Amino acid sequence: MTTALTTPTTVPAHAGTGGLRTAARLTALDLRLLLREPGVIVGLIAFPAVTVLILAGVFGSVPDPEFGGVRPSEHYVVGYMGVVIAQMGLVTLPAHIATHRELGVLRRYRASGVGAGALVASQAALGAVLGAAGALVVLVVGGAVYGVPAPDDPALVAGWLVAGLVCFVAIGLALGVLMPSSRAANAFGNLVFIPMFLLGGGGPPRDVMTGAMQTISDVLPLTHVIGGLRLSWLGATDDPHVLWWPFTVAAVAVLLAVRTARRRVA
Amino acid sequence: MCGSARRRTLWGMTNTMSTARPCVPGSGDPDRVVCIDGLVKRYGSTEVVAGVSFEVRRGELFGLLGTNGAGKTTTVEILQGMRRSSGGRVEVLGLDPSAAGDRLRRRIGSQLQDANLPARLRVGEALRLFSSLHPDPRPLDEVVEEWNLGRLLRRPFAGLSGGERQRLFVALALVGRPEVVFLDELTQNLDPTARRQTWDVVRRIRERGTTVVLVTHDVEEAERLCDRIVVMHRGRVVADGTPAAIVESLGGAATVRFTDAEIDARRLRDLPGVAAVRRHGPEVEVAGDGPILAYVGAHLVAEGRPALDLRLDRPTLEDRFVALTEEDRP
Repeated sequence: MTTALTTPTTVPAHAGTGGLRTAARLTALDLRLLLREPGVIVGLIAFPAVTVLILAGVFGSVPDPEFGGVRPSEHYVVGYMGVVIAQMGLVTLPAHIATHRELGVLRRYRASGVGAGALVASQAALGAVLGAAGALVVLVVGGAVYGVPAPDDPALVAGWLVAGLVCFVAIGLALGVLMPSSRAANAFGNLVFIPMFLLGGGGPPRDVMTGAMQTISDVLPLTHVIGGLRLSWLGATDDPHVLWWPFTVAAVAVLLAVRTARRRVA
Repeated sequence: MCGSARRRTLWGMTNTMSTARPCVPGSGDPDRVVCIDGLVKRYGSTEVVAGVSFEVRRGELFGLLGTNGAGKTTTVEILQGMRRSSGGRVEVLGLDPSAAGDRLRRRIGSQLQDANLPARLRVGEALRLFSSLHPDPRPLDEVVEEWNLGRLLRRPFAGLSGGERQRLFVALALVGRPEVVFLDELTQNLDPTARRQTWDVVRRIRERGTTVVLVTHDVEEAERLCDRIVVMHRGRVVADGTPAAIVESLGGAATVRFTDAEIDARRLRDLPGVAAVRRHGPEVEVAGDGPILAYVGAHLVAEGRPALDLRLDRPTLEDRFVALTEEDRP
């Protein structure tokens, strides 16, 4: 190990202090550390993967008007890409950031000259990588079991995935800054995630919800992300899908995070 | 300047105050590493740092000593640019920490109180990461050897003992060749052996020419290590000087003690420098200043009663520290 440390390829004389390089290095390190803690990764992916397999199995693969005329299995498999992204933003990322904050890891990085921008970028990239990887796993697992057609509009699918990642990464960053501890982040994240998952497209189809449930569902960013994914992938959906809404929620989350972070430094 | 005249009046510390070192931020003195003038930090209506002024010279091993809650860590966090001040002026390496931010932090080394690393991060990974943050880091093999981290490189942070963690933190703080290093409560929660090993580490840092700002509530640590100490109490500086000068400010009083149940203690009052003689059962206590140990010893020999347990107690920095921090300030 000592040899590895002294090898120029592993220890560059000057690896650069650019914010982006530092952010990339921190993201890579965080991913490596998460892989050593498989519980986090399993928790992020197992819940949506298992749930989608059950629901898709229960409702079957016959086109159904209650699911906007598409096969229920496809409805759930495509929609659960959004669910896993939401789980990353509401549970995994806030708990990770709050734990680092609680332990003083972020302070130690800051005291060593890691810029606030690099820290935020590294956590945002971490969330985006986890969300995208989780969505891919759900798609592969669900598709392998029930089959998924080729996307109707691949560019739009990519657009909605980006919208979902931007929205929930921003929420994850905000919760990570706002929550006083990792326990609070975990508790609050689950408290928000479970109803959002049930009413935002991961639970019963919109047609069987009560009027009040539909009203709540309409304002949830997950509803729109899942609706957009279903429309762009399957060509039809009954779910709302306003593209600017996830970005608006993201902007509000970023503002909240910046205000809170500034207050903490003052 | 720096409120020093007021301090002299309040605390009678003329001989310990560093009034010969006026601190005016922006004066361009290259040997002045830290300069604080009238620093104030408020949280709401609570003033946790109330007009603190001091300076740190290049190459010094400087101690910021105070009880818990004295405002030491807040002061240091402002110096590191991690917190904004509410008033006063601060300069570190000629830069304003609140404006220079990361540019300054790459020139200083920091061992923070209560700041950890991710539990599963390995020692080798931590060294590589922190090394990569600096433009001209020290070769890692040199750092590993210097701080005896070779056998720990693959061990996760959570698996390190308290002493091993402190060695790692110091190595991380020094890997970027800092001009000044801040060490906050470095020996907190360490056993006596690890504590002494850590003191050796601090001495080695200073021997290499790095300016050290040691933040501690441990009087013995400050006395053993520091060239100069500032004592903070309730957000204010209550003493500033070398450990010896701060002790001296008690008046240089010394006490000679010995056991002799039969000696006529009243005759000891006539010896030069003796201010008072007290008897506690068989123990005799002679207070005074100057070489009273020699006079008392000579007297006992002359009387044909040399005491086996004759000893001299001088006031310690701890005595002075307790006296300073017990006083109730408005």
